[in-house]
Amino acid sequence: MNADELNDIVGGWDPAGLPTNIRVGAGCFLERKESFKRFRSRRNPGLALGDRVKVYTWTEFNVEPTGLVEVGDDSTLVGAVFMCAERIRIGKRVIVSYNVTIADCDFHPRDPDVRKADAMANAPQGDRSRRPVLEARPVVIEDDVWVGIGAILLKGVHIGRGARIGPGAVVTRSVLAEGAVLGNPARAVEFLELRSGKRRRS
Amino acid sequence: MSEGMSLEHDWFPRPLPANVTIGERSWWYSSFACLHYRSRKPHGVRVGRDSGIYHGTFFELGPDGEVEIGDYCTLVGAIICTNSRVVIRDYTFIAHEVIIADRFAAQPLAEPGGPVPVGGGPSEIVIGENAWIGARAILLSGATIGEGAIVGAAAFVDFPVPPYAVVAGNPGRLVGRTR
Repeated sequence: MNADELNDIVGGWDPAGLPTNIRVGAGCFLERKESFKRFRSRRNPGLALGDRVKVYTWTEFNVEPTGLVEVGDDSTLVGAVFMCAERIRIGKRVIVSYNVTIADCDFHPRDPDVRKADAMANAPQGDRSRRPVLEARPVVIEDDVWVGIGAILLKGVHIGRGARIGPGAVVTRSVLAEGAVLGNPARAVEFLELRSGKRRRS
Repeated sequence: MSEGMSLEHDWFPRPLPANVTIGERSWWYSSFACLHYRSRKPHGVRVGRDSGIYHGTFFELGPDGEVEIGDYCTLVGAIICTNSRVVIRDYTFIAHEVIIADRFAAQPLAEPGGPVPVGGGPSEIVIGENAWIGARAILLSGATIGEGAIVGAAAFVDFPVPPYAVVAGNPGRLVGRTR
């Protein structure tokens, strides 16, 4: 491994080499260059990172040509896998932990016949222009939200300010400000004290 | 963080931290496992003999973090993120993409020179002898896994699991026994 290859995975690379529609704020830490490998947005900006955003090695910005991802100041993305066809907006001081997926689209149609056609259009040698138009619904995560380890956030959810998304939660519905959810599908829990051992199996 | 030994087979061009020790006949895939390692404890990570630390495993330890792994253990890609203590006793299997952490919204614990993020349960996490942790399980502070117990795939556990119990689900529930 040469010096450049090392820099590419430990945050020593120059973000000036990223596509021009990616905006990076002051004092950001971008650990792994490959996090941006599947960024294909043609919007400008297609990705906007605020100031002092930390992007750790497991994060991936999978952004379609029509997608826009925005991340507010002082947020930390540990293992955030973004699947973005339209818009994913993350506020300030948000923590997204390990193994998290955030998707604003299902990326394949629900109807089995249409999905079969999509499978063919999506083949390695397939005609991508024949892919169906897919419904996307933006995901919004407000300021000061903590997204726990292994959570999955699906299209159209709005996570209110200060909410807590429990570990492994599969979030299909919006969460109120200061709310807390856990489970699959995620349900509101009265008081999510995930560190104290207060919430027992019952 | 002072420098320790270099692994002969390592692709990542860094030595292991000096406070990492690996027992006889054990395998450690790469110093990449210590990408976010900040432990200042005398023994940051101690691995016994005949244990395998395989690709995808990470020791994301804060300054006060320490991990003790016994003999004949197999870790095939767990992330251990703590500023406290994690003990993994002999003969334990830990499957792919398991996370063991001292807080539910875990993150690497302080970049060099930076502050350690606040929070985190103070209690240590102990995985008893001969336990088996399934893929994508999440173990948080409060989890103590009894000898011979099984934690099912993708289960979330932050409570004591008795010896020889089987827990599964999110939140984890007792679903059976191994003997």
